[in-house]
Amino acid sequence: MPEDEDKYPVESDRRRFVKGVVGSAALAGVGTTGAAAVNSATEQSGAGGGATTAMAIENTDGPAPRGMPQIPIEIEDGEIKGVWPEVTEIEQQGQTVTITQTKNYKGSDVTYSSRWFQYCGVQSYTGLKPEADQENFFRYSSSPPPTYGWQTEDVSGGDRVQVSDFEDYENWENSIGSGGLGKPAAVTWRSQDVDNANTIPVTLIRSKRIEEKAQENDWLAASTDKGFMAYLNKCTHFCCVPGWKTSEQASQFNAEDDVYCPCHQSVYDPFEIVETTFTALPVPAED
Amino acid sequence: MADDNENTETRTDGSGPGIVAPDDEVPTWRERKERTQGLSRLTYEYFERSRREDQDLRQESSYVERDVLGFPTWPHELIRNLSLTSFFVGMILFLSATLPPEMMAVADPSTTPEIILPDWYLYWSFGLLKLGPLNPELSILGGEKLMADRTYGVVANIVVVGFIAIVPFLNKGSARRPVEQPFWGAVGVGGVVFAITISALAIKNLLPLDTHLLFDITFLAPIVATLISYAVLKSMREGYMFDLNRRYYRLRPPK
Repeated sequence: MPEDEDKYPVESDRRRFVKGVVGSAALAGVGTTGAAAVNSATEQSGAGGGATTAMAIENTDGPAPRGMPQIPIEIEDGEIKGVWPEVTEIEQQGQTVTITQTKNYKGSDVTYSSRWFQYCGVQSYTGLKPEADQENFFRYSSSPPPTYGWQTEDVSGGDRVQVSDFEDYENWENSIGSGGLGKPAAVTWRSQDVDNANTIPVTLIRSKRIEEKAQENDWLAASTDKGFMAYLNKCTHFCCVPGWKTSEQASQFNAEDDVYCPCHQSVYDPFEIVETTFTALPVPAED
Repeated sequence: MADDNENTETRTDGSGPGIVAPDDEVPTWRERKERTQGLSRLTYEYFERSRREDQDLRQESSYVERDVLGFPTWPHELIRNLSLTSFFVGMILFLSATLPPEMMAVADPSTTPEIILPDWYLYWSFGLLKLGPLNPELSILGGEKLMADRTYGVVANIVVVGFIAIVPFLNKGSARRPVEQPFWGAVGVGGVVFAITISALAIKNLLPLDTHLLFDITFLAPIVATLISYAVLKSMREGYMFDLNRRYYRLRPPK
């Protein structure tokens, strides 16, 4: 009597065959899944992220982890443009990598890099690609906040920002906060002829305070001009678009003279430029 | 077999000399089954055994067997379920065919509306994102926070959902009314009040109330509500039990 006679079902060639088919199918499935998992875990999703030190307007309150990065500006023929860092291609481990950064920006000892703006999905905006066919001049936003009434009255969306539009900056005021702090404009940068989802929102402020601070501060002297200061207007908390002097609610949080985000009440001080460190997201690879 | 007859062939229609009435020698169906071999025998034994076990259990138990224990799945249950399903599928099709499609403007990530809120039933979760002041700054980290305020807000969701999930395991009581278990009743009241106050915190920018006061109320009001309801339920319990006992003794007067 064979040992396994009482086994059911009895061992047979057919059964061994079925076992083999099922077993190999299971093995193949595990192997394929494992390979796919390893692939997706190690796939290079993009390049150019990592620890980054940026100059930003200070986050003073609310849940935001850090300030919003500043954009250095230059004035050219009465028009204002945001400086785009130098684009260089270097050979690194056999791969050609495009690096967009300016070391020691205008002698201020600050490394200005496009990584400053690589958070909240901005890293995938078309305008942030080094090779983007975009000019650096700021253009007025076509949908400014209602409290920036001067923008709808005096200028039209899509026009280049002119220094002459800001002549009343020393005593400009609107219904929110105290007057005379400066004159803001909602502008876009490197976002001409792109859809809303790819428009880089920027706030440009011309203020006496910036002018004064620029005389003592190397970085501000290099990155601002005639009191003009620009920052990327994307809240570092959950990516809303805050505003300086745009919301009545701000006074409830003592932020009527600060940048206030309506989503989770983060507050930033646009006249306090500080150094922040964060992990920039990689720019997604082209498909 | 009887072979008096000339015709000894057995016919397939059942007539003929080969067919005899069953006598004691003729095997019963059960015996035939028991005589089978292999898989059919195994199947028979399996079913016979389970039937037997079932029968024994029924005989042992005090369960009163009724004629109808339940309705069969087919057709009763399935017809009912199918008709209900068809009704609701039909409603969905009807509504989607008659109502105009709601196509709102595409979200514009380069602007944020001044009032931006989730649906009202998610306010509690939205409020948990605004717990920044509760995020401890650890002196061991030199005044740094262990996690960013936004991470803290997300973790707070897990804590709240986790607590709600744990409660049924902590309290397995059979109470059906809060007075029967004042403590758990009070915990429930506190939870409901906290859901309301944390929702109020979510819209703190719209409430005409000082935000620091609102923040304090958010956490103090549930505690106060818990204590009050505990006291109330506890004091109600005596009267409630008295009422129950009175009814009981009315039904069955003590000897």
